[in-house]
This record gives sequence, structure tokens and C-alpha cells, in this order.
Amino acid sequence: MSAGPFWLPVALPRITRVERGRVLAGVCSGIAEALAMDVTLVRLTFALLAFASGAGIVVYLGAWALLPAPGEAQPPRRRRIAGTVLLVWSVILALRGLGLSDSLVWPLGLIGAGAALATGSATLGLDRKRARVTAIVLTAAGIFIFVGGNRHGSATTTLAPGAVAAALVLLLGPWAWRLGRERDAERAERIRTQERADFAARVHDSVLQTLALIQRRPDDARRVATLARRQERELRTWLYPDREPAADGTLADAVETAAAEIEELHGIRIDVVRTGDAPLDDRTAVLVLAAREAMTNAAKHSGADEISVFFDAAPGRVALYVRDRGAGFDPGAVAADRKGISESIRGRMERVGGTATIVSAPGEGTDVELELS
Amino acid sequence: MSVPLRRVVLVDDHDLFRAGVRSELGPTVEVVGEAASVLEAVPLIKELDPDVVLLDVHLPDGGGHAVIAQVAPERPGVRFLALSVSDAAEDVIDVIRAGARGYVTKTISGAELTEAIHRTADGDAVFSPRLAGFVLDAFRTGDAVADAELDQLTAREREVLQLIARGYKYKEIAARLHLSPRTVESHVSAVLRKLQLSSRHELTRWAAERRLI
Repeated sequence: MSAGPFWLPVALPRITRVERGRVLAGVCSGIAEALAMDVTLVRLTFALLAFASGAGIVVYLGAWALLPAPGEAQPPRRRRIAGTVLLVWSVILALRGLGLSDSLVWPLGLIGAGAALATGSATLGLDRKRARVTAIVLTAAGIFIFVGGNRHGSATTTLAPGAVAAALVLLLGPWAWRLGRERDAERAERIRTQERADFAARVHDSVLQTLALIQRRPDDARRVATLARRQERELRTWLYPDREPAADGTLADAVETAAAEIEELHGIRIDVVRTGDAPLDDRTAVLVLAAREAMTNAAKHSGADEISVFFDAAPGRVALYVRDRGAGFDPGAVAADRKGISESIRGRMERVGGTATIVSAPGEGTDVELELS
Repeated sequence: MSVPLRRVVLVDDHDLFRAGVRSELGPTVEVVGEAASVLEAVPLIKELDPDVVLLDVHLPDGGGHAVIAQVAPERPGVRFLALSVSDAAEDVIDVIRAGARGYVTKTISGAELTEAIHRTADGDAVFSPRLAGFVLDAFRTGDAVADAELDQLTAREREVLQLIARGYKYKEIAARLHLSPRTVESHVSAVLRKLQLSSRHELTRWAAERRLI
């Protein structure tokens, strides 16, 4: 089949005549077996068709000729041609049996035969070029007879274009269908390839690079941890894009971005827990700066390997807590000229009407509480 | 006081992660079995009847909540501690509401995990800072709800959760609030119960809207 100019759009089940349980030639039993139907039903269909000007009988003979016998690969060529002719004839008979006039049935029969030739030349073992020419001639003849026969009837104007269209659909349909499918498959394949390439590029730029870096410096534990953490963050933003902090985002986003930067800068782990959110404006931006200073201090001086940050925003009040379990210090003993805490954290917060509380003691870690209401 | 040996079953579909957890757990915890899927885990837990099951929220053939749902009715003594990398909040809600005693992230240190296992085995609730933040967010005061007691946190519970979210351990919270560690624990357990029983509709909607990362 695939050798012909057209494919049938569906794979037909292979039908053979069968010996077992046959009454005549085993055609009905063969069809019933191939379609997994009750053989009685198939016989009944043939019998009913026989009433349509004997179409059932002709179609039976055609099938007998066309279907291979048990153990036979393909019936000889002459039998196949005879079978096809019989089948086309049976279709004509059936249409006449339905009450359609000759002027409609004969053209349809000719066009049908043309279609059968065009699609089945390979199966029938015919020369392809000659089969195609014959098919066109038959179709043209069918159309000609149809138009001529119906010239005077009212059917001409309404039916002729329809018949031509039907013939075209019959001839071109399978081909167009296949073309469309191939194009769809091609496009799907192109999209898949593109996605695979994007994914590979992404993995190469990020994960593979990181793994290579880690392999080169396996004994530098801090650096390995930083690399892993950065990679983790990158993958998360990629996998969950809805949580990606925008540059002009909210206050909570700004806090997370600051934490991520300090994490990277100092090779420390900062866990940010956030509840609620608030808009980022001139006042709240100061909170972010103070928080950044508190996180940097913890990263530089505490010696802890983890910092906990809790951002809690409620209507009218924003609080941010930075905690480490590191060395701690005595707040009273810090030299007055050390600007870090007094200026960058406390002074900043107080200027925008907020508060900063710092609780620490040597060996107890440090707690920084920032509040803005 | 000698610490009792806890028998633990590890349910996670990543071999590497299971091996890592096994090697990090302290000598007071014994891993008696491992499973990589819901299908494997259910009969194994029923057979071994461990003290604690460390349960990955995501399993290839269903969530961790499916394991709890199938085991809990027959083995009420087994306690579950949920463990996850980065999960949608609705998955965590699912596993907590199915009956897990707590939720921790996989980046937790070996010592902390060992402690969390003991606490789970004692019937206590285990909240990571992240889970605490999540609960605070979900129970944020707002509209009045009919079943007020189950749908609201008390001021004290809120205070405790806020300190957990800030990275405090139970002992530190107790010291700061001038409470006994036992009292802190009972507050957290009360929150867990509310989380499991509350019909608060925001809980589901909130969880669906937000991912816990």
C-alpha cells in the first residue's frame, strides 16, 4: 500500500478467507474474524445488500476474487482486477438500489473506479503511470456524464459542483490528510528539539559548571557549600518562576534578594521565612538597608554557619528579625566609633520613625529586631 | 538519663538522600527499614511497626499523605515526620492534615534531625521555621469565622510560632517567654491540632496560591 501514490489514512485489518466454518468461499467468516464481529451479522448484511439490485451478490463475488485464500499471500493479478471491477459495480448497484437515478450513479461509479485505481494501483499490481492516467480519464468521464446527464434537470446546478467536490475530496483527501499529519509531526518534533536544546543549555550553564567547580575545589568546604547554595537558588527560580523576586518587587522580595546577595558574598546560609508582604517605598527601603547591615554583621563576625531571617508584615506594621547562634558580643562594650550598629542599623531605623533592638551576649548569638509601623 | 533507641523507617525515593540521612543520624536512632514508594512503604511500616517514619512529601506513586492514610488506622502508634526539599504548600498541608506530627526541610542538620525524631517519637509536634511562618500566614487574623476556637490562634500560640519562625529552639523560646519547655511544647501541639482540624477555608486557598520554598 505504502508504495502507491496515496496512503489510506487508517490501517485496515488484513482480511483473508477462512476454511473453518465457511459456507461458500469463507468470505463472510473471514470478514467477521478480521473485524471481530458475529459472522451471522456479516452474512445478514450481504443478504440485505442482495436485495439492492443484487449488489450483495456482486460484492460477495468481488470479495471472493480480492481476498487471499488461506495460506495465500496475495491473489493473482487478474483476480484482483476482476475483484475491483466487481466491487465498483456492486457500489453502482447499491446506489441504484437506493433509488438514485442513472445520471447520478454512473458518474459516481466512474469516479469511484478512478479513485480506486489511483489509490490502489500498487496493490492491484498495475503500472503506476498508466493507472493514474486511466484514473484521471475515468474521473473526467464521470464528471462529463454527470454534467451532461443533468444539464436539463434542476439537479445540475446544485449537484454538479457537489459531485466534483466529492470527487476531488476522494482523490485528494488522503493525500492532504497525510501531508497535514506530517507537518504537525514535524512541528512537534521541532518544538521538542528546541526545548531539549534550551534545557541542555541551561543545565550546561548552571549545574554542570557548578559541578565542575566543585570537583576542582572539593576540600574547600565553605566554597563547595556556597556553590551548591547558589546553584540551588538558581534552579529554584528557574523551576518556580512565579516566586522570582522582581527588581521592582515588594518589600519581602527585596529582603530575599538582599539575603541571597549576602549569602553569596560571605558563603553563609541565610534562611528567610516570610509572612505577609508590603509595598517597597522610601521608608521600607530603609528597612531593607538596615536588614542588609544586620545580616552582613552576622555573616562577618558571628562565626555561625547559618542565619535565620523572619520577615513579618501586617497592615500598618512591618517587622524583620535577624538571628544567629554565633559568638555574640557585649553591646555595651562596643566602641562608640564603630559605626556599624549605631549608625547603619539603629540610626537608620530611627530616622524613618522605626525602632531597632539588638540583643546579644558573648557566646549567646545575636538577635536584631527591626520594626516599622 | 539514658536516651531510648528509636526505630525509624525512612521513606524517600532518592537513594543518595536516604544514604545521607542514615550516615548523619546519631547513635540513638536506628534505621530499621527503607522504602522508595508508597507501594513499598505501606506493608513495610505495618510489618516493622517503627517509632517514627521519616516521610518524603513527594513520592513517585503519590504523596506522603497516602502512606499515612493507609498505615495510621492499623498502626496508631507509628508517628510520622514529613521531610521535603521544596514543596508546594498544599502538599505540606496535605501531609500535616493526614496526621504527620511535623515538617522539616531536607537541609536540616543531622543533629537537629535526630532531635526532631526523638521529639516526634515522644508525641510532640515538630515545626521548622518555615512551617511556623506558613501557619502564621494561613491563620492571619482577618474575617470572622464561625468556628472561632479552631480557626484562630491564641496570642500565646502566635508568639511561640513567631519565635520558631525567627529560628528559636523550644528551649530558647521557653527561656525568653519565661515558660517551661513543656508549656512551649503544648502550645505547638495545640497549633498542630488546629492545623489538622480547622476547616478554615483560607488554609486550602492560601496553600494553593503559594509555594513553600
